[in-house]
Amino acid sequence: MIADDSVRVVIAEDSVLLREGLTRLLTDLGHEVVAGVGDAEGLLKTIAELSAADALPDVVVADVRMPPTHTDEGVRAAVRLRRDHPELGVLVFSQYVEEQYATELLAGSTRGVGYLLKDRVAEVREFVDAVVRVARGGTALDPEVVAQLLGRSRKQDVLAGLTPREREVLGLMAEGRTNSAIAKQLVVSDGAVEKHVSNIFLKLGLSPSEGDHRRVLAVLTYLRS
Amino acid sequence: MTARTRTRSHAVQVAAEDDDRLPPARFAFGSVTWKEVAHLHLNLLEGILGFVYVSLWLYAGALLSVTVVGLPLLAAGLMGARVLGRAERWRARVLLGVRIDEPSPLPRHRARGFLNRMWMTLKDPVAWRSTLYAFIRLPWGVLTFAIALTSLFVAWPVLGHIARGLTNVDRAMVRGLLSPSSELERRIAELEEDRGVVVDTAAADLRRIERDLHDGAQARLVALAMGLGLAKERLLEDPEAGARMVDEAHGEAKLALQELRDLARGIHPAILTDRGLGPALTSVAGRCTVPVKVAVDLESRPAPAIEGIAYFTVSELLQNISKHSGARTAEVELWRATDGAKDRTEDRLLIRVSDDGRGGASTARGSGLAGLAERLGSVDGLFVVDSPAGGPTVVTAELPWRSRTESRSESRTGGRP
Amino acid sequence: MAIDHATGRPHRVPAVLRAPLEGRTWREFLYLMTSLPIAAVAFALAVTLTAAGVGTLVTFVGVPLLAATLAAARGLGVLERARARGLLRLEIAEPEPVRVRRRRDGRGPGPMAWVGALFKSGTSWRHLLYAVVHFPWALFTFVLSLVLWSVGWTTFLYPLWQWTLPTFAHQPGIQIYGETGGRHFYVDSPFTIGITCALGLLLVLGTPWVIRGLAHVDRLLVRGLLGPSRLAERVWELEEDRGVVVDTASADLRRIERDLHDGAQARLVSLAMELGLAKELVERDPEKAARMVDEAHGEVKLALQELRDLARGIHPAILTDRGLGPALASLAGRCTVPVATEVDLDSRPAPAIEGIAYFTVSELLQNVSKHSRARSAQVDVWRSGDRLMLRVGDDGRGGAGTTSGSGLAGLAERLGSVDGLLVVDSPVGGPTTVTAELPWRARG
Repeated sequence: MIADDSVRVVIAEDSVLLREGLTRLLTDLGHEVVAGVGDAEGLLKTIAELSAADALPDVVVADVRMPPTHTDEGVRAAVRLRRDHPELGVLVFSQYVEEQYATELLAGSTRGVGYLLKDRVAEVREFVDAVVRVARGGTALDPEVVAQLLGRSRKQDVLAGLTPREREVLGLMAEGRTNSAIAKQLVVSDGAVEKHVSNIFLKLGLSPSEGDHRRVLAVLTYLRS
Repeated sequence: MTARTRTRSHAVQVAAEDDDRLPPARFAFGSVTWKEVAHLHLNLLEGILGFVYVSLWLYAGALLSVTVVGLPLLAAGLMGARVLGRAERWRARVLLGVRIDEPSPLPRHRARGFLNRMWMTLKDPVAWRSTLYAFIRLPWGVLTFAIALTSLFVAWPVLGHIARGLTNVDRAMVRGLLSPSSELERRIAELEEDRGVVVDTAAADLRRIERDLHDGAQARLVALAMGLGLAKERLLEDPEAGARMVDEAHGEAKLALQELRDLARGIHPAILTDRGLGPALTSVAGRCTVPVKVAVDLESRPAPAIEGIAYFTVSELLQNISKHSGARTAEVELWRATDGAKDRTEDRLLIRVSDDGRGGASTARGSGLAGLAERLGSVDGLFVVDSPAGGPTVVTAELPWRSRTESRSESRTGGRP
Repeated sequence: MAIDHATGRPHRVPAVLRAPLEGRTWREFLYLMTSLPIAAVAFALAVTLTAAGVGTLVTFVGVPLLAATLAAARGLGVLERARARGLLRLEIAEPEPVRVRRRRDGRGPGPMAWVGALFKSGTSWRHLLYAVVHFPWALFTFVLSLVLWSVGWTTFLYPLWQWTLPTFAHQPGIQIYGETGGRHFYVDSPFTIGITCALGLLLVLGTPWVIRGLAHVDRLLVRGLLGPSRLAERVWELEEDRGVVVDTASADLRRIERDLHDGAQARLVSLAMELGLAKELVERDPEKAARMVDEAHGEVKLALQELRDLARGIHPAILTDRGLGPALASLAGRCTVPVATEVDLDSRPAPAIEGIAYFTVSELLQNVSKHSRARSAQVDVWRSGDRLMLRVGDDGRGGAGTTSGSGLAGLAERLGSVDGLLVVDSPVGGPTTVTAELPWRARG
C-alpha cells in the first residue's frame, strides 16, 4: 500500500483479540488506526471528540454485538453516526448478516457504507480493500446480504430473465464493486463488464446512471421495492 | 402492602388536610374493626341477593331440566355463581384481609361443541361450592346483621370482640367454600409454574450457549482466520515473519479447540451420554481443586434428562465447594432409593454432596444454590442444604427416578421440531 | 362422507343401509340390554345402603356402612368402565385412586384413614350418584330400544314368516282390528304385507340411530361420573407436558453438543494438525508450507461457516435483538420458495414463547421447501386475545399429516406441551394451511 492511499480508521470491537488483530492488520498495510474502543457508547464519544477536534477519521469499523446489552448496539450506533456525520464512512461487521440491518444501514444513501461478515477478514486484502472503499465513499455489501436481497426480491420473474453471467454481475454490483473490480473478479475485460451492465439496466428498466454509488443505490432500490 | 396500611395512611392524609377544622370525633376502634363491622352489615344484603339468585336459577333450572331448556339455564346459572364467588373473594380481601387464590378457570378451549362445554360447566365443582356458599349465607347474614347492628348501640365496649368472632366464621366460610381448596388445584398451579420454569430455563440455556459460542470460539476463529490470511501472504516474501505468524496461528487454533471443548462440556458432556453418571462425575471430580471421593451406586442408568440434571447439580455444587467452602476434602454419593412401591415407579435418585469446609451456605434468594433449588423443584425434585457456620456442609438433592425407556424424546433424533 | 374406519377407504354402501347390520349397532344394543339388570341391582343396593348409612350416621355404625357403600360404588365403576370400553369403545382412563395417608410411624394406613379418604374423594360420591341416576335411564333405554328393535325386525321380516300364521295359528295373518263376531282386519293381502314390511324397514333403518343416541348419553354418563375428574386429567396432562419439555430440552442440548463435536471441533483438530506440520516445514520447504497454510485457511473459513449455522439453529441473534417480525423475514429470505411474511404484533411475547414460535415457523418452512413443491408460501403471525397465532400456508401438493413419526407430529407434541395447538389442513392436491396456537405470555 502506498502512503497517500492510507486511511484513518476507528475500530469498535469488544473482543480484545480481534481489536488487536485488526489494528495490526491495518497498520501493517499502511493505514492509521486512530482509536480502538470496546463498546458503542465509547465509539460515539470518541467520534464526538474527534469531530470537535476537527480530526474526524475516514472510516469506522464497528462490530454489531457489543456491551452492555450484547445485542445490536453496533448497528444502532452506525445508523446514528451516518445521520450525524454523512461524510464519515461506516463499515459494520458481524458474525452473522441480516437483511434487516442492511436495510437500516442503507436507508437514505449508499455513500460510504459497508456491511460484512467477520469471515471476510480471512481474505486480508479484500477486507482492507473494502475498508478503503468505504472510507472513500464507496459501498461494500456482503455477498450473503446480496443473496438474501436477490432471493427475497418480489421481481423474481424479471430477475429470471437475466443470463447467469448477468446475475453474477448484478450481485457484484450490489456488493458495491466497480466495473474494473468486477472484471478482475470474473477474469474478463472491462468492456465485457460494461456491456453486461448496460444489458442489466436495460432488462430491469432502470436508467443507466453515472457513478458507482448511484448505480448501487439504483440496484438496491430495485431489489428492495 | 396490605389493605390495612393503605387505608391508614389515607386517614392520616385526610387529617392533615383538615388541619384548621375541629379534629374528627375519635372512634374507639381501629380501621380493622370498622371494616369487620361493615362486612357484617353487608352480609344481609349479600345474603339476600345470593339466596334469591341461587334459588331462582336453581329452581328454574332444576324444574326445567326435564325439558331441554333447563340444562343450559342451569349451566348459565352456575357460571353466574362463579362470578358471585369472585365478588365474595374480593369483598373478603378488602374488608377481612383474607387472601385467597383464584380457583383455576374452566379450560373452555379444550372442550369442543356446545354440549361438551355445557357438560363441563355443569360438573364444575368450584361453581357448585359457590352455590352452596350463597345458599347458606342468608340465615347467617340475617343473624350477623342483627347482632352487629344491636351491639353497635348496646354492646359498644365489646363490639371489637363480637365483630372479630363473627367475622372469623365468615373467614372460615370463605376459606372453606370459595378457595381453590382441593389438593389437585394446588398441584395444577404448581405444575403450571414448573412447566413455565422448565420452558424458560431451556430457552435461557440456548441463548446462553449461543452467546458463549459468539463471544468465545467464533471470535477466536475470526482472529485465527485473519492471522492465517496474513501469514499466507507473508510466508513466501518473508519466511521468518511468516513462520512466526504460523506459530501464532497454531497457538490460536489450539486455544480455540480448548474453548470449544469447554463449551461442549458445559452443554452436555460426551462422557455422560456415552458412559453415564459414574464416569462423568469422576471426571468432574478430577477437575475440582479439592480432592473429591465419588461413590455412584446405580445398577442401571436413568433417563437422559434426569442424568443431565443430576450431573449439572453435582457439577455446580463442586464448583461452589472449590470457590467458597475452603474445604480440604469433599464427597459425592449417588444412589437409587426405593419407596416400597412394588413396580418401583416411585423411586428417587438421591444425591449427597458433602465437604468439610467452613459452612454457612444457604438457598437464600439470589445465590447460586437458590437457582439450583428452583431448577430441581421444577421437576418434582428436592434440595436440602445443611450447612451450619463452621461446617461441615451436607447438600442432599432428590430427583424422581425415570428409567430410560420412559423418556419420550429418546427415540427422536432431531430433538428440536 | 362414508369412510370405513378399519381400512380408511370410502364405503360403497351408504351408512343408512349399513347401520342395522353393523357390529357397532349390535354392540351398543347389547350394552343397553345388559344395563338394566346391573343398574337395578346397583340402584337397590345404593339406595338401601345409603339410606341405612345416613339413618344411622348419628351412631357409629353409619360411618363404616356409608364408607362400604362408597367402596361398593367404586367397584361398580370398575365393571361399568370395562363394559363401556368393550361395548361402547369408550376411551376412558381409571379415575384417581383413593389417596390414603400413611401413618407417621411408617406402618400401613389404619381403617379410619381409609374411611376418611373414601369420604373425602369426590370421585367416590360421583360413583354413588351414578348408581342412583343410572337406573331410571337404563330402564327407559332398555324398554325403548328393545321394543323398537324387536318390533322393527319382526315386521320387516313379516313376509318371511307370515305363512306360519294360517298353518299353526289358524288365522290368515296378524290381526290388526277385530271384534268378537264382528268385523276383522288381517294383514294377509300382498299389499298390506308389503306396507307392513316397508314400515318395518323404516324402523329397522331408524332404530340404529336411536340406539346410537341413547348410547351416546350413556357415554356421557360414564365419562362424566365414572371417569377421572377434570382436575385429575389436567394434573396428568401437565405432568406429561413437563416431562416432554424436560426431555426435549435435554435432547436439544445433546444434539448441539453432537453438532459441535462432529462439525467445528473435528475441523479444528485437523486445522491444528495442519498448522503444526506447516510450522515444521516453514524452514525446510516454504513452498509446501505455504500450500498447507492455504489449506488451513480454507478449513478455518469452513469452520466459521459451520459455527454460524449452528449458532443460528440454537437461537438466532436477530430474534433476541428485534423480535419475531425481522427474524421471520430473515428466515423467509433463506427459504428456497418465495415467502411473504406478515407479523402483526404490537408488543413482544416472552422469550421462550418467541423461541418456540420461531422454530415452529422454521420447521414448517423447511417442510414447505422439502416436500410441498410449492411455488409460494405465506406466513402470518398475529395475536388473538391471550393466544399467539401462527399460520403458514403454501400452494403445494398437500397431503401433509400429523401421523406419528412425521416431523409434524413432533412439532404438535412440542406445542402441546406448552398448551399450544397445531392444526394441519392439507387435502391431497393442496393447498396446505398449518395453523399453530401458543399461549401468549408477556415479557417480564
